[in-house]
Amino acid sequence: MSYNLTLAETESYLRKAARACGLDWGIAEEAGKASRWLAAFNLPGAETMLTHLQNLKGKEYRSFIPDCGAQPWQASGGLLCPIITGAALADRSAQMLKGMEFKLGSTAYPLLLAATVGQAARCHQTVFTTTWAGVRVSCFENGLSIEGNRDDLLLAEVDAVSCYRDDLSTPQQLPSTLAYVIDSKIFKCIDELAFQIYVPATEESRAGAGAGLTDND
Amino acid sequence: MQDCADNNPVPAAAGYRRPPEVVMRLARMGSFHQTRLSFMRTLLRRLKSEDWKFKRNLWAINEQGFGRAVYTVYGPERSYSLVAFSHDLPDDMRSDRVIATAWDATFALYDGIPSGTDLDRLEQNVPKQEAGRISDSELSLSRANRSVRLWQHVIDSLSHGKQPDRDQLEAVGYLMRTTAVYGSGKFGAADRLTIAQRPELSGPFQAELLSVWLTRAFSIDLVEHIASARGGEQAVTIDPELRRRIGVGNSTGLGMAPFLINHPALLNNWMMAREEAIARVRSLSQADPMAIDEFKQHFEHARFNVSQWHSQHPIQIEKLKALTSDLEQMAGYIGSESLSDDHPWDRFYRWAEDNLSLEGQEQLASLLLEPYAELVDELTQCMDADEHLSFFVDGAMPLARLREIIEKQCEWALKVDYDRPENCARFWYTSAEKLEPRVGERLQESGAEYELPLGVGCDIKQLHVALQAGSDGPTTAEFLLAHPEHRHTARRVQNLAACPYAEIQDNLIAADMLPIDILRCKLSFFGATKFDPRSDRWVRICMYQDAPFPHELLAAAP
Repeated sequence: MSYNLTLAETESYLRKAARACGLDWGIAEEAGKASRWLAAFNLPGAETMLTHLQNLKGKEYRSFIPDCGAQPWQASGGLLCPIITGAALADRSAQMLKGMEFKLGSTAYPLLLAATVGQAARCHQTVFTTTWAGVRVSCFENGLSIEGNRDDLLLAEVDAVSCYRDDLSTPQQLPSTLAYVIDSKIFKCIDELAFQIYVPATEESRAGAGAGLTDND
Repeated sequence: MQDCADNNPVPAAAGYRRPPEVVMRLARMGSFHQTRLSFMRTLLRRLKSEDWKFKRNLWAINEQGFGRAVYTVYGPERSYSLVAFSHDLPDDMRSDRVIATAWDATFALYDGIPSGTDLDRLEQNVPKQEAGRISDSELSLSRANRSVRLWQHVIDSLSHGKQPDRDQLEAVGYLMRTTAVYGSGKFGAADRLTIAQRPELSGPFQAELLSVWLTRAFSIDLVEHIASARGGEQAVTIDPELRRRIGVGNSTGLGMAPFLINHPALLNNWMMAREEAIARVRSLSQADPMAIDEFKQHFEHARFNVSQWHSQHPIQIEKLKALTSDLEQMAGYIGSESLSDDHPWDRFYRWAEDNLSLEGQEQLASLLLEPYAELVDELTQCMDADEHLSFFVDGAMPLARLREIIEKQCEWALKVDYDRPENCARFWYTSAEKLEPRVGERLQESGAEYELPLGVGCDIKQLHVALQAGSDGPTTAEFLLAHPEHRHTARRVQNLAACPYAEIQDNLIAADMLPIDILRCKLSFFGATKFDPRSDRWVRICMYQDAPFPHELLAAAP
């Protein structure tokens, strides 16, 4: 069974799911945007994000953040979170524009990192490329190119990642879908995770909402 | 907004623009009225100017009034169809809550002209709430209930060959009242990207408001159809002039309120366009006689509409009293002061600031735009936003600059002591039961740990405190790595530098915050009238009252 998830829903569900897993709202927003961006290219952003968030849940934020002073960047817990690290890289995109290449150590789900950094490409009207294992993902202002071994795209963990501004002129792909087809069981997991930030009703809360009036008038 | 600023034909307007600290206050936003920039009016102007055509393509409604219908508008490049289903709803199932499970009528706006298969698919899904899914062929989904007090009266009258009672009709103002009108990817509908590049729908809420406009036509066709089935040859249709007085209602609650807070760049552009329009008119050194005449006509029409505007809610009753008195005073001003003097509109507005309530001031601000289509209508092109750009965090921004933006533009947030119970009394959350945003009482209800980031002022103050503590490095990037809890707010604050009207400058978690003020602001931009709060967080409105119907505005499609 499959389920059609619109891009707006993809962003909204994964943002909430990320929040439910303990990420602060600002980072959770990055998770939503990255998932949406990947879904627009028919890539399994929502599924990959779900798996990563499930791994993240209950763990200490500080163990995943990069030590940006180290070369390459390292996380104290051993594995860099692609959302937190992707956001940190996007925040340093001005340095990439000047030609700096960032090197990362062990990183979880680098595709998510590429998508998170990629959000900055549109604002700078440029191309940011992320490479790991045998694959290179380039995020354009409104497009995507993937070179190399596509089997490496969904690797759960890699030893080394690098990220830099690129000079490519034309993306291979433009966004190709506005409704991503997702496995129903996976969607159910995302939905359940997102639902955890919803607040159950109480007598007090029921008293306040709506007019409490009949509509027979 | 950039394009409009670049092409500004009235450079002097900048000196007349009301600053954000005056405009972005809930009490004022909760007194807004529709203007000629409102989205309903923008939509109808476009349909007319582009010579769109109209046809009711299907009417399969039985004598009791149940069945399906399709209304299509044909544009230069594309067509759109309202698919309507009318159901047999027992009275005890009629609820104004968005979380109701059944309605008198349900609707989808189809992208194109639906086939019979599409209609069957929609009939299986559109009448359901959360369980129903539509597809990317649909641009919106909505539901409506009949106004019981008016519905039966109109059918009884028409079926007996009589016109409905004008007073009764105008007191309600509509035959059907919609609940939420969902678009932009909700419940499987087409993503906003589908229409973002189509000039006819790229402006805010154009698809949703097209659906509502066609819904209004359907509601009246339906009563006339039922009356005709009942009354046979003696039945009549509604007199066209009286027909115009029928709009379509809407019941709106808290679900809509967070939108303005969650879309700061968009809010900025709406406000900026409106304020620029008001400033352009105020900056005029002279008013020609035709403009003055046109203003007076609209003024009289506004007076009439206010006389027809009723509410049972104590807050709105007081506001209406004030507005009625304001209009009397304005009439006196118009009668005694010359509108031909130097800068007449600015003088009038400044007089209003000194003498009228916020309701009256905002009514005048809206009316000032009416005679000046050529001067202000182009500003509607600046009312959408590329929100992707406002999502970007400028990590290279020095922390001193981030602090400076807060201290220069967020004094309203810093001056509040959020430790006082009345200043942090509320929290916004999503209800597990309703799947909609709600406001809770922090001290009485559980769930504040799941608070949505809508307490903007409090969050800005906390960011400011953290920045003052300041040993976290010289740039925003380094600060946010150590303080991810401030990322959401830092994004908003940075956005303020380019979007000065992006934030509501009031405490959105205060005990005395009125969600209806947020609702009224948004609905006035839609073009709604007759705001009738049912509580401090729930409002009924009327849309498209007095607007032309599809068959009046548009030529018939072959």
